[in-house]
Parts: sequence; C-alpha cells; structure tokens
Amino acid sequence: MSSALTNLLKKEIKEMLRDPKILLSMILMPLITFPLMGAAINISTSTVEESIRRATFAVMNLDREAMADQLISSFKALNVSLLEIQASSIDEAIQNLKKTSISTLIVIPSGFTRNLTLGLKGRLEIYSIFRSISLSEGAKASAANTPISIYEKMLVYQAIKQAFPDRNPENILDPITVRSFVIFKGRLLHVSPEFLQGIFMSQSFGFPMVIMLLLISAMQIAATSISLEKEEKTLETLLTLPARRLSILTGKLVGSTVVAAAGAVAAMIGVNFYTASIFSFTSISHVDLSELGLSLSPLAYLLLGAIMFVTIISALALAICIAVFSENVREAQSLIGPFSLIVILPSLVLMFADIDALPLYFQAILYLIPYTHSILASRAAFVGDYAIMIRSIFCIVLFTVIVLYIAAKIFTTEKVITAKLSWRKPRVSQ
Amino acid sequence: MSNKAIEVINLHKHFGKIKALDGLTFTVKPGEIYGLIGPNGAGKTTALRILATLIKPSNGSAKVFDLDVEENPDEVRRIISYLPEEAGAYRNLSGFEYLEFMAAFYSRDREKARESVLEAAKISGLGERLRDKIKTYSKGMTRRLLIARALMMKPKLAILDEPTSGLDIIHAHHIRRVIQDYVEKYGVTVLLSSHNMLEVEFLCTRVALIDRGRILVEGSPNEIKARYAVKNLEEAFVEATRSV
Repeated sequence: MSSALTNLLKKEIKEMLRDPKILLSMILMPLITFPLMGAAINISTSTVEESIRRATFAVMNLDREAMADQLISSFKALNVSLLEIQASSIDEAIQNLKKTSISTLIVIPSGFTRNLTLGLKGRLEIYSIFRSISLSEGAKASAANTPISIYEKMLVYQAIKQAFPDRNPENILDPITVRSFVIFKGRLLHVSPEFLQGIFMSQSFGFPMVIMLLLISAMQIAATSISLEKEEKTLETLLTLPARRLSILTGKLVGSTVVAAAGAVAAMIGVNFYTASIFSFTSISHVDLSELGLSLSPLAYLLLGAIMFVTIISALALAICIAVFSENVREAQSLIGPFSLIVILPSLVLMFADIDALPLYFQAILYLIPYTHSILASRAAFVGDYAIMIRSIFCIVLFTVIVLYIAAKIFTTEKVITAKLSWRKPRVSQ
Repeated sequence: MSNKAIEVINLHKHFGKIKALDGLTFTVKPGEIYGLIGPNGAGKTTALRILATLIKPSNGSAKVFDLDVEENPDEVRRIISYLPEEAGAYRNLSGFEYLEFMAAFYSRDREKARESVLEAAKISGLGERLRDKIKTYSKGMTRRLLIARALMMKPKLAILDEPTSGLDIIHAHHIRRVIQDYVEKYGVTVLLSSHNMLEVEFLCTRVALIDRGRILVEGSPNEIKARYAVKNLEEAFVEATRSV
C-alpha cells in the first residue's frame, strides 16, 4: 500500500471514529440498544412467567361434594397456591378479592359432582380481575386453565380405564404416532419439516437483515465521509495534495469499509444478544447444524465472503457517487435515503417470500436490483447451490465495476468539486 | 530553472452559459508575490483553482514551472500548495495531527516531515493549542493553521486565496510578515487573491486587476497608481473599471 494511501486511510478511520455522530449511531447504539431491547423483553417474559408461577387462585366451593374436593386436591398436588374462600355470593367474593392481590376466582357451582357422576358436563366458573392491561394480567387470567385441563385429562383416563381395563388410555387417546423425516441435499434427516422450516426461516430473516444493516450503514458512512469534506471545505485542499485521486477514493472506500465493518460487528453482537434473549425458548439453538449438513461448506464461505466484499464496495462507491452531488452532510443523507430503497426492498421482500413465487414483473424488478443477487447468493450458500452463487457474483461484480468506474471518473475530473444537484444555475466562483 | 513560475495564456472557463474566465493572460516570475484583485465573480478563484489543478480550463493553457496543469496535474501538485478561501480543517483531528497528516504527503522521511510540522507550529503561533482538536479552534486560529500548512513544505508555488480572510489585524499582519519572510528566505513564489487592497499593496511585487474574467491592468502597485494618478489601488481599480 502506498504511503499516501496509508496516510489517508489512517486519517479517514481516525476522523470517522472520533465523529460523535458516527460513533454513537453506528457503533454504540447497536451495541447498547439491541441488548437493552432483548433484556427488556426477557425481563417482561420472566415477570410474566413468575407472576403465573406465583399466582394464587381463590376457590369458592359451592358444590362441597366428592368431585369438587377431588378437583381442589388435584390443584394442591400440582403445588398450585389456593385460597378457599367463604362468601354469601359471588359478588361478595369478588369484592373481597379486590382487596387482595389475587386476580382469579374459581367457582365450583353446586351440582358439579352430580353432573360428572351422571356422565354430564361438569361446570366451572372462572372470574378474572384485570387490574391493568399488561401481558401478565392476561397470562394470570388464563393460568388456571392448565391445572384444570390436567384434572380433565385425569378424569378421561379414569373413564377409559373403567371402560377398557386392559388397554392403555394413552393409545386410545392418541392412536397414531407420526415419525417425520426430511430428505435435504440428498441426505435423510431425522427432523420434522417444521423444524427445518424454522431453521430456513431464521436464515431467511438473518441474511437479508445483516446485508440490509451492513449496506445502509456503509452507505451512510461513505456519504458522510465525502459530504463532511465538502461541508468542512477540506476537499479542495485534499485534492491539491500530491496524492493520486484514485488513492483518495480508495482511502475513502477502505476507511468507510473498516468503520462499516466495525458497525456491522457491533450490530451483530447487539442482534446476537437480542435474538439469544428472544429465541432462548426454541430448540434450534441446541442442534448442531453441521451434523444435519446444514452448515456452510468452505467453498460456500469463500464465495459468500467474496460476494459480501464486492457488495459493500459497490454500496460505498454508489454512496460516494451520490454524496458528491451534496454540499453538506444533511443533504447527502437525504440523497442517500431514496437509494437505500434498492437495499431495503429486496431485503424485506426476500425475508418473507421466495423470489420464484413472486409475480413475473416483480421478479424482473428485483433481478434488476443488484443487491437482490447478494441476498440470493447468501441463501444459495446455505443450500450449497454454487451455480446461483456464481451467477450472483457475476451480477454484483458487474454492478460494482460500473459504479467504481463512475466514482473514479467523478474523482479524476472536476465534477468532484463542481457537481451539484440543483435546479438553480451553477454557482460561479469568483 | 524556469524563468516563469506561472504562465497563463488566453485562459477561458465556462460553467454552462456563464463565462468565468475570458482570455486571462499573465505570467509570474519565480520569487514574486503576485496578486489578483477584483470584485466578486471576477474570476480570481476560478483562475487559482485551475492553477491548483482542481478544475480544467475550457480553453487556453496554464503552466506552473513549465508543467502544464492539464497534462501533468500530479507533477504540478508536488510543487504547489493551495489554500482555498473558505478552507476548513478536519475537526476531529488535533492541530498537530492535521499538520502531520499533511506533511506525510510531501515527505516519506519522518524526520523531514517532523521538521515541517515544527516549522508550521512556529508559523501558526498556536503553541500548545495545537494539541487540541481543531473543532475547538476559532475561525482565526483555523486560518492560521491552514496558512502554516500551506507554507510548511516550502512549496515552489503557494496559491493563496484570500490568505488573511477571517483574521484580526494583529494576526493578519503576522501572516503577511510570514509570507514575505518565506519568499525572501526560501524563494517561494506566491500567487494570491485578495479583496484587501492594503494587503495587496503591502505584499505584492506585481498585481493584476481583473474583472469579468479578464485583466484590466497589470504592474507593480506603484506603476498602477501612477498610471491612473491615484493614491491607492482601490481608486486605481475604480478608474480601471470605469475606463473599460
């Protein structure tokens, strides 16, 4: 690397990382906000779980017969906290409950035992006091359903056992066992289609999301880098220094890549914390994907790396080409805004849909957007479809070459100084 | 060694329909301080930008020490330094970091680059403030830093657009002295533009009064004043524009 380029690169990185706007928005924000969001969701989930676990139910036994006692005993056997209350009416019981922290009243009406013993439906009434509109209030209200359904199942088992003493009630209730297998990439996998679908879904969301975050932040950084030079009136001096114009452009591209990569790493760390908090309940995290043949091969890694590299370079060069037309950072950011759509559109669409399932005209639009190919390539890497990856590399490289050529043209001509996006007449220097 | 530091012949520059330069012609000898004077929109900055290789002429030629600015821009950049009128500096670097960054382009030898930085520190007179970030500097302090940057490498040609713009009287005086010292000590050629007629009279060996992209009159300040029989360059300029 030439000394001019090294010098430029050091300056670019130093300048950008010391810029509070870039440091805060690109690096600190994702590092702080995503884990905070995850922690907030985790805390609320634990709070809900805790409130369900600790929930105490009030029971008003108006039946006072054997089955009602059996129901209460089954609750106690499940370690459900119960408070048996006496009141002259349900209204009075509810009024009494309002003075406590108990939110659920289970009323066992008279005739409960009689109905069940006669083979009729037993009736229970559950009154839930909503003290707020939070998620935990709803969860507490439905918490009583679990021990009740366990008791119901016990009744069913007893009935089956009485009718068919020599048969397993489980086999009567659930007479067919289904074992699922999936054939993927020519391999027989002992997993369900739903499980595989879950993994694919996480990939469908993950890759486009990463590409979108990375490209948008890279474009903003590159645009800021150029427009800041214009805003602070440093570009003219820079362009008269004994450094090749292409070195200056390369310095901007590489500097922005380094900062964007730092931003992407920060975002990924943040997102990782976030998803770990959100998806900690799923089984996917406990499965070794390489054992299922679902991990990337070394060749796929290599191709994916190449695609990500050219994709970032093209986005940076595009942002630089656009930012050259601005006179300050604010103008550059507003110019970049509409161009971000070419990153956001394919990312969002391909998060939810398969490109082949889309209408033809929409497919054509997406295929014309270069960043569609980056996302398609990332998916192809996952399933080992190298033909699609190579086609995508070709498309994105072609686009990158064109954008780099335009950026180089702009930088080696006076356009870098004189270009302005304005309907007004060009301003003439003195 | 060339006997022409700058040779501008019939220089034209159009921005769309607007004619910024209309046949500008002048030469500057090595070691001269040459001033371009004119009202806003006269074409001073356009001429300086062409000589600094930032923009290309529509017609005509401009040479710096026999190097054509269009054909050999990289070579020209090695021997010039340009100070734009509204120039800024990198806000998040300290004064020293900024000077070190600039010096590194001119010299691979660290010791030589360090000498240049120390020289610039002396010119700027900013002392310990050079350790602070540039964003904490006043407009005048930034201008002093930029002047120091432009002169520290002892370029063969320093192109200074309104060098004392934004400086108070004391600092403007200091900078004028520095420019004169540099020319005397190191034989630096200076091309400057200014609105300040007193500054031009004090500094320049020769001046050109320009208007609408053309030179109205050229000579030493005394020659021009004598030609129009006036007391100062300001009056000479008024007379020159009246006689066109």
